[in-house]
Amino acid sequence: MDKTELKQQLKEQVIQFLNLTSLKPADIADNEPFFGEGLGLDSIDSLELIVLLNRMYGITIKDPKEGRKVLVDIETMADYIEQHRTK
Amino acid sequence: MKRVFITGMGVISAIGNTVTENHSALQNGVCGISMPPHSSPDLSKVPLAEVALNNQLLRERLQVFDPAVTRTTLLALHAFREAIQDAGLSGEEISSDRTALIGGTTVGGMSQSDELFRDVSQRYSASPFLSSYDCSSVFMFLQEQYRMKGLIDTINTACSSAGNAIGFGMRLIRSGLAERALVGGADSLSKFTISGFNALHILSPEICRPFDRSRQGLNLGEGAAFLVLEGEDTIPPGKKIYAEVTGYYNASDAFHPTSLSANGEGPYLAMQGALGTAGLKAGEIDFINAHGTATENNDESESRAMIRVFGEPPPFASTKSNTGHTLGAAAAVEAVYSLLSLEHQEIYPGLHFSAVIPGTELQPETIWRQLPLRHIMSNSFGFGGNCVSLIFSKS
Amino acid sequence: MLYIHQAEAISPQEIVTNKLEVKEPSYEGVPRNLLRRMGKSVRMGIGASAPILRSTPRPVSGIVIGTGNGGTADSYSFLQQMKEYGEELLTPGTFSQSTSNAMASQLSMMDQNNNYNLTHVHRGLAFEMALLDVSLLSLENERAFYLLAGVDELSPSNYALDEMEGWYPPGIVAGEGAAAFLVSGKPQNAMAAVRAVATLHSSDPEVVRKQLEKFLATHLPAGESISGFVSGENGDARLSDYYKACTTVVGPGTPVILFKKRCGEYPTASAFGLWLACQRLSGEGAGNYLIYNTYKGRQHSFILLTGIAH
Repeated sequence: MDKTELKQQLKEQVIQFLNLTSLKPADIADNEPFFGEGLGLDSIDSLELIVLLNRMYGITIKDPKEGRKVLVDIETMADYIEQHRTK
Repeated sequence: MKRVFITGMGVISAIGNTVTENHSALQNGVCGISMPPHSSPDLSKVPLAEVALNNQLLRERLQVFDPAVTRTTLLALHAFREAIQDAGLSGEEISSDRTALIGGTTVGGMSQSDELFRDVSQRYSASPFLSSYDCSSVFMFLQEQYRMKGLIDTINTACSSAGNAIGFGMRLIRSGLAERALVGGADSLSKFTISGFNALHILSPEICRPFDRSRQGLNLGEGAAFLVLEGEDTIPPGKKIYAEVTGYYNASDAFHPTSLSANGEGPYLAMQGALGTAGLKAGEIDFINAHGTATENNDESESRAMIRVFGEPPPFASTKSNTGHTLGAAAAVEAVYSLLSLEHQEIYPGLHFSAVIPGTELQPETIWRQLPLRHIMSNSFGFGGNCVSLIFSKS
Repeated sequence: MLYIHQAEAISPQEIVTNKLEVKEPSYEGVPRNLLRRMGKSVRMGIGASAPILRSTPRPVSGIVIGTGNGGTADSYSFLQQMKEYGEELLTPGTFSQSTSNAMASQLSMMDQNNNYNLTHVHRGLAFEMALLDVSLLSLENERAFYLLAGVDELSPSNYALDEMEGWYPPGIVAGEGAAAFLVSGKPQNAMAAVRAVATLHSSDPEVVRKQLEKFLATHLPAGESISGFVSGENGDARLSDYYKACTTVVGPGTPVILFKKRCGEYPTASAFGLWLACQRLSGEGAGNYLIYNTYKGRQHSFILLTGIAH
């Protein structure tokens, strides 16, 4: 799967996991920050994204604080998945 | 304003099945939290604080064999019986329409998580638990057992539930809607709750360390406690009184579903509010039984709030290092512990502490000692930002 | 007296087999970011409460909610996740929403409200205890306004449990809904007033009858009568003796409003009954309505509502 496809798939998964029903993948820019001003996610969302990485890509992040370094935006998350995915 | 006093108490927790057992354990710094494996094969791989009596033993002691009665209810009944006996209440007094029963719980019958799943997914209509799962099942059972005709209520504000139960009972007496109130809380260990807290990453893989810089989260516990509250105008002369409920305040942190704001706004407002309702200045509080769950978020926010209220807080400690976090029962269990302190003029050591949280420099009490105690504050801060502060005063 | 200044309800519009279900509105004015995580009962509660919170110039002095089944739907979702994925890596969203106080705390966050916040969960009396709570609050603080609400959703898991217990024989309709009220101790601009609320636990219709007599003797002003009987009768023949007992007290000729025809059966249906009574009474401007409900024949409540002459 190339990076563009991965990012598209990831956007769909993020929308699904976080129940962002008012958004479509096209509404999420690759560099839009998850936290703070961009998508406005919170700490529970970051835990949910950690579960997403585990269930969909077989990546385990034990410490939620480590997770925040990876979960910056779609671009960084896709990079991390490409490097660490086991599924 | 009518004064409300405590004339009886009962408690069951991981450190004892009665008030006397809990008292001795507190004095001796006993920790009721244990590492896995646990007695129940269902319970998971984290440290937990279990009540020593399993369901079979509880049923035998209480002579309650109806399978519909869940563990949370059994624990509640155990503490309830101790409290009403301690207060010397007659059957008529308990069932009187002037006696209220207000209870707090978060788990209710969800200690039977597997059974709920089975009953719904398999449509298992022969289940004895069909009306046992909700929070109210616990106190509906007590109402029925004791044929209580007064006001009955169940409150769920997460970890502050029992604190609000105590406060509501006090308000009912003050308003004249009740003469006495049996108030408290109960919660039992449940796979459901353990999994949920685990998913939130706030369970510690080790025994918890309230207010310690290396704390890694909380340990879940179970238990129940009840207080008998009576109004000053109906207490028979000469009846034993433990203390007076002088302060109660409920405030919201309004920040996040499961964590407190960094500067502890909800806790701060609750503590200030309780002082206001008690007519006390901050300096008059002699000891604080802190919420102190040992999560990274709570202990820091609570510390900041204590500093905001007190400048230099009075001696404080969290008994969750003895009992684990008993959720809906916590505020009632900790009320009993505050009353024991007042009765015996002593404070109990907080356990597993070695280094202060940077930036707060607050150190909990770590040694048992005797101390003149007049006013004790007990705090409970729940999910959803539901913060409660209670003050008990020696009378 | 507890004065009601505003009343909003989200109630069912669709009958789907023997269930009255709410078709949810768009919840305009509620931040999407908060809405996405909420279960249906929380959404309905927010939907009924938000217009009230928007209309008050200052934060209300307290938010008091009654819910019988609040949280069960999300609890069951979390259990399903536990079964599917084991107890290891689970998403915490549904767990954090599964506590009964999720709605009250979401309201406090939306309203930036640091004041009193409480959730009563005593099954068929959850709303009445919340009503009693705000009544006490209004006596303790005369100038203050409070948000009071009663909410329950018809979740498949709750329905399954109640149905297996036999509470939905053919003809009895399960329901859901949310009703919210702005209340205070001050009569200005009130649409109606609650004179008194009483609750009882009993299975004896004779006890219910005696208690209702006592309730009215204590709270209905001398010379006044009940002009409307707002009844929670839901068609269950096993419960009809309780309603008959109350009818003998209020008088068989008194007009009856059967509110569960509109909202179906659920633990906090009496909140909808109160909303409906408010609508009728505020139109009439005077009169006394008695709202009586029983939940499963064991919990009973009386609410005495008085019209405000303008």
